[in-house]
Amino acid sequence: MKKVKVFLLGLAFAGFGCDSASTGGGGVGTQDVTIRFAAMVGEAEFVCGDTYGGLGADDASLVLSDFRFYVQEVEMKNATGVWVPVELAENKFQTGGVALLDFEDCASMGNEDLNELVTGSLLAGEYDGLRFKMGVPFEMNHVNHSTASSPLNITALFWNWLGGYKFLRIDSGQFSGTDWRMHLGSTGCEGDPMVGGVTSCANGNRVEVEFDAFDASTGTVVADYAALVEGAALDVSESNPEEGDDPGCMAKPADADCAPLFENLGLSFAGSTPGPQQFFSAE
Amino acid sequence: MKHLSHTLILLPLLLWAGCGDSDTASASGAWVWNLPDTVPPPRVPEDNPMSEAKVELGRFLFYDTKLSGNQTQSCGTCHLQELAFTDGLAQAEGSTGEIHPRSSMSVANAGYAASLTWANPAVVRLEEQALVPMFGEDPVELGMANMEEELLRRLREDAQYPAMFADAFPNQADPINLDSITKSIASFQRALTSFNSKHDRGSSALTLSEQRGKALFFGGTTAAGVPDALECFHCHGGFLLSQAVDHDGSEFNQQTFINNGLYNLDADGSYPEGNQGLFDITNDPADKGKFKPPSLRNIAVTAPYMHDGSIATLEEVVDHYARGGRLIESGPNAGDGFDNPNKSSFLNGFDITEQEKQDLIAFLRTLTDEELLTNPAFSDPFAQ
Repeated sequence: MKKVKVFLLGLAFAGFGCDSASTGGGGVGTQDVTIRFAAMVGEAEFVCGDTYGGLGADDASLVLSDFRFYVQEVEMKNATGVWVPVELAENKFQTGGVALLDFEDCASMGNEDLNELVTGSLLAGEYDGLRFKMGVPFEMNHVNHSTASSPLNITALFWNWLGGYKFLRIDSGQFSGTDWRMHLGSTGCEGDPMVGGVTSCANGNRVEVEFDAFDASTGTVVADYAALVEGAALDVSESNPEEGDDPGCMAKPADADCAPLFENLGLSFAGSTPGPQQFFSAE
Repeated sequence: MKHLSHTLILLPLLLWAGCGDSDTASASGAWVWNLPDTVPPPRVPEDNPMSEAKVELGRFLFYDTKLSGNQTQSCGTCHLQELAFTDGLAQAEGSTGEIHPRSSMSVANAGYAASLTWANPAVVRLEEQALVPMFGEDPVELGMANMEEELLRRLREDAQYPAMFADAFPNQADPINLDSITKSIASFQRALTSFNSKHDRGSSALTLSEQRGKALFFGGTTAAGVPDALECFHCHGGFLLSQAVDHDGSEFNQQTFINNGLYNLDADGSYPEGNQGLFDITNDPADKGKFKPPSLRNIAVTAPYMHDGSIATLEEVVDHYARGGRLIESGPNAGDGFDNPNKSSFLNGFDITEQEKQDLIAFLRTLTDEELLTNPAFSDPFAQ
């Protein structure tokens, strides 16, 4: 119940922020904007540690614990159809145009803080559409993580063996070998010792999300776990028959567990042609 | 003169680096590389110049169990000085008991690696690599993920570290942070140079058997009359005895990954799942089974061998290369590595006499740097 109250409180503040938008602190000729996100599992709100049934291709039941993702390149569509960038505010959940949406407060790799809002400012005007990417821009993804500002200094979202951050982290359980986990980030990265870092990645794996109709004052961006895992085998005992194949998907192109998840994210998997993403919807 | 010449080469670099970030090289003892004339200094990132204070701090951090979540392991747990900074295990064991798919690599001369770890082209800086064992979750090594504040608290409350960090990072108001930790450990690792083996003292220092083995290693003709039958040096040549080398003067990316025919599970040349080398990064089937050819320096003390520790002795390693790939007759990994489609063209097999084999191994044993194994400057400061 406590969780619900927090969520409603977030709603209230979000609405307030939008109402006072035109006189906000974004500077002359700008207005503040607050974009509300929600984490759902089908029809149910995501609550850290709750059990959800009827998931995936095998009607699996999972105790979900972690649910976090980064977004970048947030833009809104004005009355003439032009996409205008939102300049994100700087705070512990936002830096350099990247925001962390954080719906977990019980994960063994998590913390008690929650964040359901993206806040910023943009040119004054009327806006009726929203687009963003789930991810961290290449030039921020591959610099020294040790000196990055929050929220890019959270070690549970480091993905250094692949040379970047986890853009999306959704875990079941409390960190045992049989937990079903989904970690998404860039893969196939190459480095150069003379450059001193990553120079390119074969698979950026940034999820592009666009809502032609979205009113920030009333709308919510919903990230739905059930939609993410639709068609995926989640039953760990069945999906994990081979040594070395961890349950879930760590974005490895060779991991067949990833195929339906990538499809639902609108990402190419092992050369497939991606369709539209299903994970995010606007309400 | 030897040391002076290196100091002069390094001087412009240090001066330039001093103009940039806050970590000035001259803060607590300018760094002097202890290297023979035949070996260039390693590449040092502009934002992390070497200093005596930083290397010494890095040594403490390298050996400190405060760097693991449950305070049971340090970097040194899997990288023991007396084993040339390996652990003698086929596969490493992390702080929570998880078995790593790979064998602990030697950290000696890590500053010269064109890419770090066994098969990852993305990890090219020691500072960045240090984050993998600390915060990696798959597998868990030091198990510090999500405990960065706890780590900093442990170090800040320590009796020695505040002064050591202040000495190593004199221009920082709050020097105990993740960045200074990885920079110090990286500096210690760059200082772990190892070029004082019998081999480094020239052929005249070697016995006749060792000289014969050296000749075979570097392209000599075998008793069977085949020139360059062994082809060792193509992948294990140069001052590092690894082609995958980088240093201060490198002008090209020399990352190298090769398949040496250890496995051949199917028509694609698969290796056991989850441990397929470069393929695990690139997903290119032609990269299945490709791993970095490691430096052979100190190879006699770093058994067992290969990325998964699956060959126990140097004798068996020579047998493996003489056959040109490993035959596994039964079990889940059955297959003939000789026929692996991704296998390096240098692995054709060769005929070798017992005497030649002993000569070759005698040469490999000359690559051990006893000073590395015992140098107090590299030792565990917490050892009783």
